[in-house]
Amino acid sequence: MKPSLGIAKKDFLLFIRDRAALFWVIIFPLLMMLLFSAVFGGEGAKFDVACVNNDKRQIADLLIEAMNSTGVVTLHLFESQAKAFEMVRAGEQDLIGLLVIPEGFTDNLTSGRTGNLEFFVREEDPTVQQMLTSFISGFVEEFNSRFRRELIKEMLVYMPENMSFGGYSMTKEEMVELVMSIARPINVTVALISKPEVTSDTVAYWENKGHWVSTMFTYSFLFSGMVTSTGILVEEKERKTLKRLRLAPASIWSLLIGKILSALIVLSFSQLVLIASTILVLRPEVNWDLTLLPLVFMGDVTGISLGLLLAEISPSSRAAGQAAVVIGVLLQFLVGMYFPVQFLPGFLRTFAELLPFTKAAEALDRVLLGGATISEVIQPCVYLGISAISFTTIAVILFPRWAREE
Amino acid sequence: MKPVVVEKVTKRYKDIIALDNVSLSVKEGEIYGLLGPNGAGKTTLMEILVGLRRQDSGNVFIMGIDVLEKPSKIRTLVGFNPQETMLYDNLTGFENLEFIASLYSITEEEFQEKLEVLSDLLDLEDLLGRRTRKLSGGQRRRVSLAASLLHDPSVIILDEPTVGLSPDARREFWSFIEGLREQGKTVLLSTHYMEEADELCDRIAVMDSGKIIATGSPDELKRLHGGSAKIVIHVRMKHIAQAEKALSIYSPIRTSEGLEVRTDRAEELVPDIIAKLQSAGVDPESVEIRSPTLEDVFLNLTGKRLREVVG
Repeated sequence: MKPSLGIAKKDFLLFIRDRAALFWVIIFPLLMMLLFSAVFGGEGAKFDVACVNNDKRQIADLLIEAMNSTGVVTLHLFESQAKAFEMVRAGEQDLIGLLVIPEGFTDNLTSGRTGNLEFFVREEDPTVQQMLTSFISGFVEEFNSRFRRELIKEMLVYMPENMSFGGYSMTKEEMVELVMSIARPINVTVALISKPEVTSDTVAYWENKGHWVSTMFTYSFLFSGMVTSTGILVEEKERKTLKRLRLAPASIWSLLIGKILSALIVLSFSQLVLIASTILVLRPEVNWDLTLLPLVFMGDVTGISLGLLLAEISPSSRAAGQAAVVIGVLLQFLVGMYFPVQFLPGFLRTFAELLPFTKAAEALDRVLLGGATISEVIQPCVYLGISAISFTTIAVILFPRWAREE
Repeated sequence: MKPVVVEKVTKRYKDIIALDNVSLSVKEGEIYGLLGPNGAGKTTLMEILVGLRRQDSGNVFIMGIDVLEKPSKIRTLVGFNPQETMLYDNLTGFENLEFIASLYSITEEEFQEKLEVLSDLLDLEDLLGRRTRKLSGGQRRRVSLAASLLHDPSVIILDEPTVGLSPDARREFWSFIEGLREQGKTVLLSTHYMEEADELCDRIAVMDSGKIIATGSPDELKRLHGGSAKIVIHVRMKHIAQAEKALSIYSPIRTSEGLEVRTDRAEELVPDIIAKLQSAGVDPESVEIRSPTLEDVFLNLTGKRLREVVG
């Protein structure tokens, strides 16, 4: 055991003194977490819009309140239209649009006339322009519809309970239904049929800050596990230090155990730092459950054994190192770390769903965010377990041949 | 029992014969040299001796134990220092040695004791706290050597131990090897430096193209294969043609040093050579008698100069 522990200690010392390794294993994922959570995970509106309320009456206030409540825009109120216009033009306070509610807006609406709103959009990113104008049009359409329905309800209060209409007799309720359908003659519900599995849960998990906890685990399986374990093996050959190990009386198996132990220590260390940093920075609300332990352990073993395998089957040490990094980088985008797997095109999605890391990421999300228990994630657990055992067995079988050849 | 015995060992790499029916034996407490150019098969033979490679045929015994049968046991008996220093650049000298000690399951107390001894022997004290990437070639080699000796091996195998060292560092290393001899260790070293083999080795095997072409003590080899002694005459370049003409009776050869005369009667001829030069109006800078060297041995045995082959 002493040789294995010696190898583990030596590899850990080398790891923490290797700036490049520290960058990829610790710094890079933290930067990704900060970047992605800043872009997608921010709270509040995405668009800041100036608003001049010249009406200052009931319906104008209602409109402002409704618009703010969508979470898409934040209205910043201004007294002077000229000043607001200039600020939007200059892009101050991140303002990208101006909504002007004219004087008499409420009066017009309540007396059967049209209430005219003015909306100005700053000419910059066409995508932003399109998104904002679409939002305003959609919002006004919805507001109109609701307003009409409220108005109709109000009018119908004063109608008699039974009435005759065009030769037909009607109850008051039947009349309400008829008039309401006139207020919104056609309604359409849009639903995506190409990706039925994109459930609200999936999207909710991905949008949840807690998803970053599972992302950090998955990242560590790939980089601290797979890439690092490839590295700690091939470096012995590259630096010709493998000869020193082979010269010692320690068996080839204690060398393998030492290497697996090294990878596990590096992996645990990186997970500790990544998870602690994520909790500290994002303060996510996640469910810490013992179910996580076997999931994380099997993810660790799968990552490490795949890394060992890559080192063992590659034609050269350099090729192994490069392959591990390339595969690690590509898999990041396939296993549901940065976006749900269901968003991938067909063939890629099929491939991604076969990856044990995808199963691990999904199961981690379900436990951390959905509070799933072991029985609820038993399927991905078994899949992950079989992967871990299979890869480890192959890596162990190939190891002696790798260690003996120059 | 001889500590190292090699019997008819052959090793091929595809179409290349790295070792061709090689046999040798090393006595206890002896410093045995393998002298030959790069590609002669020295490293392959050493790696077979420590079990890093398998021979295609033949037998190798260390302290009477077959290397192929008990490789783990052999590794406790042999300390091998290859050409590469095989140290971890980002670890200090101490951390490197501590790691090697763990591979041999050496206890903490034993390690401290060995370290103290080796530190004195190899002057390691200033090197232990520094990362090895910051050490010079000679310093790295000292740490690497300490790593090979930590487990107190009976047989020490050193592959080109002084390559890349300055002349001073090389001399220091020689005195260290002498120290090992005094401790009764058996040393097998490979080198392509003739003066190193001559200075250090009790016996030498001259190798070329995978074969041992001669064995013996340096003196025996020089006597048997070194050819005649030579008289080296240093003259100014502008007088060289004149001197050559004056000494034409002795068939002098032009060399980079001046002229060279090969003869079995060197001491007798020197006064006559000086007289002939003076009468021709050439004042020689020096005239010296040189006994045959191992370079001459190699030249006579292979038809090529060792320096040229190593080049």
